[in-house]
Amino acid sequence: MSLAEDKIEFDETDFVDTGAAIQKWEHFPVSTISHHGAQCCLIAREWVLSMDYSQLNASNPLTGPRWIRQKYTWGPSTWPIHWCEAVEQKTLDCGALAAISQEVLVARGVKSYHAQFIQQYTEDATRQWTKKWNTDAALHWVKEDLIYHEGCAVVVRDNEIRLWDPSAGWWVNPKQSGGYGSMLALRIYAPQVNSATEFIWGTRRIFPNQWQKIERARGDFAVAAAGK
Amino acid sequence: MKIYISGLYSGTNPQPGIGIARSLRKAYPDATLVGIEYSNRCSGIHWTDLDEMWLQRPWEELNLEAYAADIKEVLDGGALWISGVDLEIMWLASVFPEGHKNLLTPSTAALQKISKPAVEAHVGLPVSIPEYISTERSDWELHAFCRQHGWKVWLKGPYYEAVRTHGWDVFERVRTLLSRAWSTERLFLQTHVTGYEESVCFSAYQGELIHCVYMRKRELTEEGKTWAGDVTQVPDEFVAPLRRIVKELNWTGGAELEMVRDMGGRLWLLECNPRFPAWIYGGTIAGHNLPALLVERATGVPAKTESEVCEEFTRVVLEIPVRAQFPLPSLPEPFPGGIGHSMKHPSGTLALAERLHKLHIIDNGTNGNGHNGGSTNNAEAPVVPSTFIDDLKAYNFAEMETPSWLFLESTASELFKRAANVASTLTTPALTVTNAYSLKTNPDERLLVMAREAGFLAEAISLLEVQKALKTGFRPDQIVLNGPGKWWPEGLLPTEPIHAVFCDSIPDLKRVVASIERKELQAKIVGVRLRTPTVGSRFGIPVDTTDDLRRLVDAIALLPRDCAFGVHFHMASSNIGVGQWWHLFESVLRWCRSIETLSKRQIECLDVGGGWFPDDWHKDSGDQFALAIERARSFLPFVKQVISEPGKAMAQPSMAVAMRLLEFEESAEEDVTEAVVDGSIAELPMHFFQPHRILRQDKQTGEWQTLKHGKTHLLGRLCMEHDVVASNVELPEGARPGDVLVFCDAGAYDRSMSYVFGRG
Repeated sequence: MSLAEDKIEFDETDFVDTGAAIQKWEHFPVSTISHHGAQCCLIAREWVLSMDYSQLNASNPLTGPRWIRQKYTWGPSTWPIHWCEAVEQKTLDCGALAAISQEVLVARGVKSYHAQFIQQYTEDATRQWTKKWNTDAALHWVKEDLIYHEGCAVVVRDNEIRLWDPSAGWWVNPKQSGGYGSMLALRIYAPQVNSATEFIWGTRRIFPNQWQKIERARGDFAVAAAGK
Repeated sequence: MKIYISGLYSGTNPQPGIGIARSLRKAYPDATLVGIEYSNRCSGIHWTDLDEMWLQRPWEELNLEAYAADIKEVLDGGALWISGVDLEIMWLASVFPEGHKNLLTPSTAALQKISKPAVEAHVGLPVSIPEYISTERSDWELHAFCRQHGWKVWLKGPYYEAVRTHGWDVFERVRTLLSRAWSTERLFLQTHVTGYEESVCFSAYQGELIHCVYMRKRELTEEGKTWAGDVTQVPDEFVAPLRRIVKELNWTGGAELEMVRDMGGRLWLLECNPRFPAWIYGGTIAGHNLPALLVERATGVPAKTESEVCEEFTRVVLEIPVRAQFPLPSLPEPFPGGIGHSMKHPSGTLALAERLHKLHIIDNGTNGNGHNGGSTNNAEAPVVPSTFIDDLKAYNFAEMETPSWLFLESTASELFKRAANVASTLTTPALTVTNAYSLKTNPDERLLVMAREAGFLAEAISLLEVQKALKTGFRPDQIVLNGPGKWWPEGLLPTEPIHAVFCDSIPDLKRVVASIERKELQAKIVGVRLRTPTVGSRFGIPVDTTDDLRRLVDAIALLPRDCAFGVHFHMASSNIGVGQWWHLFESVLRWCRSIETLSKRQIECLDVGGGWFPDDWHKDSGDQFALAIERARSFLPFVKQVISEPGKAMAQPSMAVAMRLLEFEESAEEDVTEAVVDGSIAELPMHFFQPHRILRQDKQTGEWQTLKHGKTHLLGRLCMEHDVVASNVELPEGARPGDVLVFCDAGAYDRSMSYVFGRG
């Protein structure tokens, strides 16, 4: 809801305590799929990687691996999860979907990193998810109307990235204007890159391995008008 | 201020009139907005922002001269005119060749520069034009274009309409429909670009770019039309060339550049529409009222500025009251047995296209197809290899009974020599490349002998085929046995070792293992045929699930260790397209690597191929083959032999069918549209899947000429509705009943699948 009051606009997201959310998920590790070190996981992993190439259908390797979400419904996963278990599931959570997506993107030769998101929905939505997870206890990935989520930061050229949301099967709009589904904070997990590295997401500079608040974008035209 | 606005159709593929009216109403609350429409069936005539309606009769009824005079009077009286209909804009440009200060539409010269598919004016913009080909080119070339682009192509009308044509039969059917609908043969095929649709919409007056906005589609209708979008600034690198182009074209009015951004971020320009888009009010919501800015520039009357800014817009469905003076018309009666009420184009757009054609106002050869206007047939005849003509000299057509099969010996010989040369060039000390001839493609003994002499293996799908190969001189160790029914009929399996056998299923693999253990079967190579995911096939062992892959790996462990292990992959490249085939090849290499890793069996033989269209295999493929061998070696380091099976690439050009013209009706005024021949689809069963080049010998000169694209359908002799052996060809001048037509490219499945029918 937007409230217009004496030409000053307020938005619910202006009052969100993103800092507290970041604190809650500060030490959350990115999800990875475990390997039994045996034929069972070897077969599962080989199958996923070969299937991904078949599914690419002669398209650009930067195409999001949407087939994974098409194969698996989004829902609870049991952790830790191994390759042989993951491929047999009917539902996978965002961490498992992101971990598999990350593996296939890298196997394609694409530079990609684990990405962690804090997103805003509504308390109605988070209540429904709590039910879906079949628990009365608070979900570790939910904080009121905010959620912890995972995806992939895919390098498209130089240090320019796009964010793949494997649970949704789409690229996250770099122009975040707040509201339902908006991204409030982002962390790209890339321990191998220099801490001075800057990724570019839309018009934003993103530094790796640290949570970064995503400010609400002002409209292009509003920016242009303000600059005049 | 009075502003006339046309293009009020408001269905799921709407015209922009309502969006223009809404935008102008915001900026000029007191202006009189007059809607123009050509059918009272268009719901936009009831929109409340329109103060008046000037309803015209449909275009097929309108007296264009009188209507032009009425419009002139309106414009001379000071009213403005903003058109939302492409064909109306083209017509108005011809009515006002010098323009009119109150007519806010572009000139004919400007329109010609943006006609699709070439959109000549795009030079300088950071966009590319997707590949296209005019349907005035020969069917042979059109089929090649489709194969090259994996049949991911659209057949597009000159002004509106685009239909995905994923096969030759669909293409032929849609071509006929669109040509009839738009009264032109000048359609074009354009390759599909997968990606996200984006637009730039601009407003210009007398060559000055007033303003522009960028729109990304965020929700689409089933027809791919905008349902929601976001509107942002146009990047500077786009604006600068756009400003120059607008100046060069001396553009007046609105326009929209429709584009697709592919996965690599490249922009492809699909078309430039000479009017505001239907989503134009989305721009106004974003605070950028392009129609108002156009009116402001044209009149000097300041538009009311916008205070509301939201960069995203969406559509909803609204019910509104119908204007009392335009009650709803009755629904037309459905045709007996028909589905729906056949109400497309109620304003007579198709009729307008036909009228403008007749007036030479449109389709004058400026749509980038590279052909001039007029009714002359500019189509180019397809080229045939000179060996075809040489081979035909061996036949006495005057004495020949028709229909008759013709063996083109030197053509076939050339092909086998070339294939042998390719294999020899690609062979290295570490890896042998061997060709294999697929018997089912054409089991003619002459071809089998040529294949054997050129070092081919014989690829058989049944034991009868094995026996045929042996009879024509192949040794057992030159036989590759493949397919789901290869053990039929029983008792014909050679006792000596064959070269390779590939298992089509897990039960088949177990049978092979048992046969080898019983010493009934001996083979140097035993392998599996893979059914790759994502491409429909009934052959081979699937790997669609991890269980499938596990079962395959477990089964491979059963294979005897004293046989070499191989993998077989066949898919008709002519069906899935050349690019797609090579992707599948790469995909198979990855599956093979996985299988090798998991089974710990080294893959020593890779058998690939199937269904190559001759031109795709024989022309410009050398580098691709060399790269493929290199890739195979890099993925599968233990591979010692690659068996290449070109399929119909060898047999198709090697035979032709001679038919005689039986009858056709000649008319001085009209082209011949139907001619009957003594051949039929029984001799050309592949007619539905591929074109055939057709030759006719000139009686005077003896010269062989290829038939061009035209309006004649060659009907077969059978009393079967679908017995049409060629569509859209032109009978040469002087053609007479009794003339022989030679249908080339009939040596593969046309020959092997031909059947006896209608002969008593």
